[in-house]
Amino acid sequence: MKNHMTRFRESYFFYSFKRDKVAMASFFILLIFLLMSASAPLISPYDPYDSHNIDIMNSEMPPSWYDEGSPEFLLGTDNMGRDLLSTMIYGLRISVLIGIGAVLLQAFIGILVGLTAGYVGGKVDAVLMRVADIQFSFPYLMVAIFISAIFQILFGIGSYEKMAVPLLIVIIGLAEWPVYARTIRASVMGEKNKEYVEAARVIGLSRPVIMIRHVLPNTLTSVMVISTIQVANAVMSEAALSFLGLGMPVTMPSLGSLIKSGFEYIFSGSWWITIFPGLFLILFVLVINLLGDWLRDVLNPKLYKG
Amino acid sequence: MFAFIVRRITQALFVMLIISMIGFAIKNKIGDPVRDLVGERVTPAEREQLRDKLGLNDPFFTQYSRFLKNALQGDLGHSFFYKKPALSVIVAKAPATIELVLGAAFIIILVSLPLGVYTALRPRSFFSRMVMGFSTLGVSIPVFLTAIMLIYIFGVQLNWLPSYGRGETVDIFGNGWWQSGFLTRDGLLHLILPCFALASIMLPLFIRLIRSEMMEVLETEYIKYAWAKGLNPMRIWLVHAFKNTLLPVVTVFGVQIGIMFAFTILTETVFQWQGMGYMFLEAVERSDISLLIAYLIVVGSVFVIVNTVVDIIYGFINPTVRIAGRT
Amino acid sequence: MKKLVLLVLAVFTVLTINTAVGAKTMTVALDADPVSLDIHVQLSGGMLQLSHWCFDPLVRWTKEMTFEPRLATKWERINEYRMRFYLRQGVKFHSGNTFTAKDVKWTFDRMRKSVDYKGLVEPFVGVAIIDDYTVDIVTAKPYALLLNMATYFFAMDSQFYSGQDDNGQPKDAIVKIGPSFALNNASGTGPFVVKSREQGIRMVMERFKDYWDTASPGNVETFILTPIKEDATRVAALLSGDVDFISPVPPQDFKRIESDAKVKLVTCNGGRIITLQLNQERRPEFKDVRVRQAMVYAINNQGIVDKIMKGTATVAGQQGPEGYAGYKENLVPRYDLEKAKKLMKEAGLEKGFECTMIAPNNRYVNDEKIAEAAVQMLAKINIKVNLKTMPKAQYWDEFDAKAADIQMIGWHSDTEDSGNFTEFLAMCPNAETGYGQYNSGNYCNKKIDELTLAAQSETDLAKRAKILQEIEQILYDDAAFIPFHWQNHSYAGKENIEIEPVINSMNFPYFGDIVVK
Repeated sequence: MKNHMTRFRESYFFYSFKRDKVAMASFFILLIFLLMSASAPLISPYDPYDSHNIDIMNSEMPPSWYDEGSPEFLLGTDNMGRDLLSTMIYGLRISVLIGIGAVLLQAFIGILVGLTAGYVGGKVDAVLMRVADIQFSFPYLMVAIFISAIFQILFGIGSYEKMAVPLLIVIIGLAEWPVYARTIRASVMGEKNKEYVEAARVIGLSRPVIMIRHVLPNTLTSVMVISTIQVANAVMSEAALSFLGLGMPVTMPSLGSLIKSGFEYIFSGSWWITIFPGLFLILFVLVINLLGDWLRDVLNPKLYKG
Repeated sequence: MFAFIVRRITQALFVMLIISMIGFAIKNKIGDPVRDLVGERVTPAEREQLRDKLGLNDPFFTQYSRFLKNALQGDLGHSFFYKKPALSVIVAKAPATIELVLGAAFIIILVSLPLGVYTALRPRSFFSRMVMGFSTLGVSIPVFLTAIMLIYIFGVQLNWLPSYGRGETVDIFGNGWWQSGFLTRDGLLHLILPCFALASIMLPLFIRLIRSEMMEVLETEYIKYAWAKGLNPMRIWLVHAFKNTLLPVVTVFGVQIGIMFAFTILTETVFQWQGMGYMFLEAVERSDISLLIAYLIVVGSVFVIVNTVVDIIYGFINPTVRIAGRT
Repeated sequence: MKKLVLLVLAVFTVLTINTAVGAKTMTVALDADPVSLDIHVQLSGGMLQLSHWCFDPLVRWTKEMTFEPRLATKWERINEYRMRFYLRQGVKFHSGNTFTAKDVKWTFDRMRKSVDYKGLVEPFVGVAIIDDYTVDIVTAKPYALLLNMATYFFAMDSQFYSGQDDNGQPKDAIVKIGPSFALNNASGTGPFVVKSREQGIRMVMERFKDYWDTASPGNVETFILTPIKEDATRVAALLSGDVDFISPVPPQDFKRIESDAKVKLVTCNGGRIITLQLNQERRPEFKDVRVRQAMVYAINNQGIVDKIMKGTATVAGQQGPEGYAGYKENLVPRYDLEKAKKLMKEAGLEKGFECTMIAPNNRYVNDEKIAEAAVQMLAKINIKVNLKTMPKAQYWDEFDAKAADIQMIGWHSDTEDSGNFTEFLAMCPNAETGYGQYNSGNYCNKKIDELTLAAQSETDLAKRAKILQEIEQILYDDAAFIPFHWQNHSYAGKENIEIEPVINSMNFPYFGDIVVK
């Protein structure tokens, strides 16, 4: 174990991390965000999903430093009388959950398809990549509507609240897997004619073994780089879906739905309902993107040209 | 080449077939269009009759094969809400979206080219760092938030720019096909905010793309050779390096324009821009199924066409890339 | 001499009005635009608004809920089944045709053919032409609400709509989907003539130069209607000066509009009740009257009106608002959380239960927020509600299927009378008669059915009111539904527009009479 630690400390990876202040700051902010979302029930002042705490008479209270504000609600309350800070922390929790869940799903499907297409090639490759194209040409809103409809048939209307998070994971996961499939396929195509693969084939290893044990590890750096950016994208997609009313239910607001309900209040002077969750979301996505940038520069400067 | 195009077209048709089938499969699950057509007092029996008359009660395959038969003749069904052929509704809404995308593309080109080139040439300068920082910030702000802020600041607080819709439009061809906002002052003013909002998502991507392509080109042998020959730096940068940067940028630009059409849904919603994206969302809310399916097919074909054209152009410009259809 | 002075004065005032206020353009943004120019293609608030702009009814409601002569100058009851209307002479349609009794009959016959109006005109036998300017409207049974219904008789130009159009389709065809003559062409007697219409984008109307009502103070020459669906964007459009008039105004923006000197806000009581229905067949707990009462007691509807509706709604304890025949003063809202908890305990359900609820999110003012607030309030008596909200096109489908245990419904009586609420919302659902069509709670009380039917044919208004009040009392005691409030109509416009005189509780702004200074 110690050996691993020293190796890590002496690595180029850690060295460049220590030298890059932006990366370090982003990493710590991200860490704080993740800790906050993991310990939401412990640290947030109220449980915004427990209706016992919510009183409509407290709605639209400004942040506590205003005259009409109340020390009970540090950042004020939303249009339903929920404590905004608690709701944001819980909303962040949902964003993190959906972001990571969706990216795991994307990566799983994408890697599977990408590996198979790249390694097997030929007809299989053509078919799989065409499927990826179809998926890509389908606006993700349509995917959302389609999958929501199926969920509704399967589970009925009443359970929407419980199903919303898995539902959004599936929607965003399915909408973006081609990103992985294409990158993995490209790197597999690059790797598969290299000598070590030839060697493995000569020893008589089976295809799946070569793919998973030998080719896959060599594509992992690109997976890592894409993954950070994809988490950020997934969080944004969830916010967009919730903004359009296709995401989280009103009783369990995510950051996107908070921004949407704030949009309705923006002229009334209740700016905090939009601005605080908005800044929260931007900061969260920003630090992930900054880390992603840094990772890309360090690991593979030529990989991702976007 | 011919075989390639034929293959692409068959693939496209296959894609359309699947899309329309999926659309049909869920059509009963996204609401009853008849409900939106009649007043609330109309009895269930009357509604049932209307559904019968519209053929909405027929079995799936009857409805689907009827749709296919009509689709082969270029008829994608009637929009329930607009009471017009779905295709002509989409065609009427397309100019608004196209002008929005063109406007945004114009802004992107105008801003990203100089910034991208500059940051590539002077990567360590303070200004370049600022640009890169802002571009990272740019990709981190959801487009709807940008749009809301733009409306709030420029529309409501400062009162400089109109906040919704297309304003005054001009009928370019005189036959109602293309209502353009490009030709009137009012129309152009209405374009500013939505175009900036839409551009805000793509702009950072392009600055980065141009920068990294340019930097890559600057590393190549022939640029080093040009330096060695003692050419004027301006000439090296703008003629030799920049020209070679453009090729991949143009290709990505083509694809991204296609993707931008999808992003217009959010922008159009916030600005109540009467384009295809807005129409799509409205159709969902109204359960205007025929219009939805037609929209999917149109968007799908635009995507396929753009991809095919990009592939062909790429094949022409860069002979090292072989078109998949030839192998 | 006195007469002459009056005449001179009258002419003078008319002249000064006409010269002092020149040709004006007014741009109006509503949440939706009319779906068609054919006023009989859909019976909805939006289509009725259009009817008042481009057509004229026999009589119309005033602000004070009395009847104002329009195309009918006076009327009298001939007998229990028959009412005589004397029509205005010298009225021109937009096409130039002259309005006569046959247009009234023709319009009535066309309403019969309309899927939407069919139910509304069911009590009528027909229209009998007495002479060119006199008609009798005949009902099958004694009918107390005949004049109320005459507000729906908008005369259409029978000559203009006769014959065939270019597609060989009769010009009077009422077509729900697809092209029809009446979809794009209209000829009425109303103050505005449609100049151009792009559905969903804008509709331009111009003042009809031969309009019969020369006494109307209205001075809008060009009336442009544009739909802006998104609430915040609509408000932004008014604040930035892009439009002159908007409706509805989202309650959350009232303060902002009132604080801006350039614009003003006008609200007006409306008769639309917002309620929740409790499905007793899906959820056995709702069969217990104590549980239903507990739920009514748990809902702080005053809080919802204050906070979500920003005070622009009237808290309700019964179906019909004040001024309606069935209104009973003692039926007040009853928010009392302690009482609610006690009732739940009595019912043996203090631990509560879980149930489902659906509500629309674009049908009523702040419908989604009201539903959300109700969920929180019910949680306080341990009823855990799983809420799903959706756009109205999907909502009605689920509503009809009775997909959830609690469903939201708002209702505005289109006869402006109490009986209509009960007929649709509280009578036992019966597919044959159509009664209880929107009673998704399956509340069924034989006594209510009897009383409602009795009220229908009672022409003695005092007796009728007594019956209607008894109904409200029974529904109140039974906690047949959870009432929230009657929602107000809200309008906002630039300072120079005189909004108050033209609005009314039906939400039919009479733009023909609006004055722009």
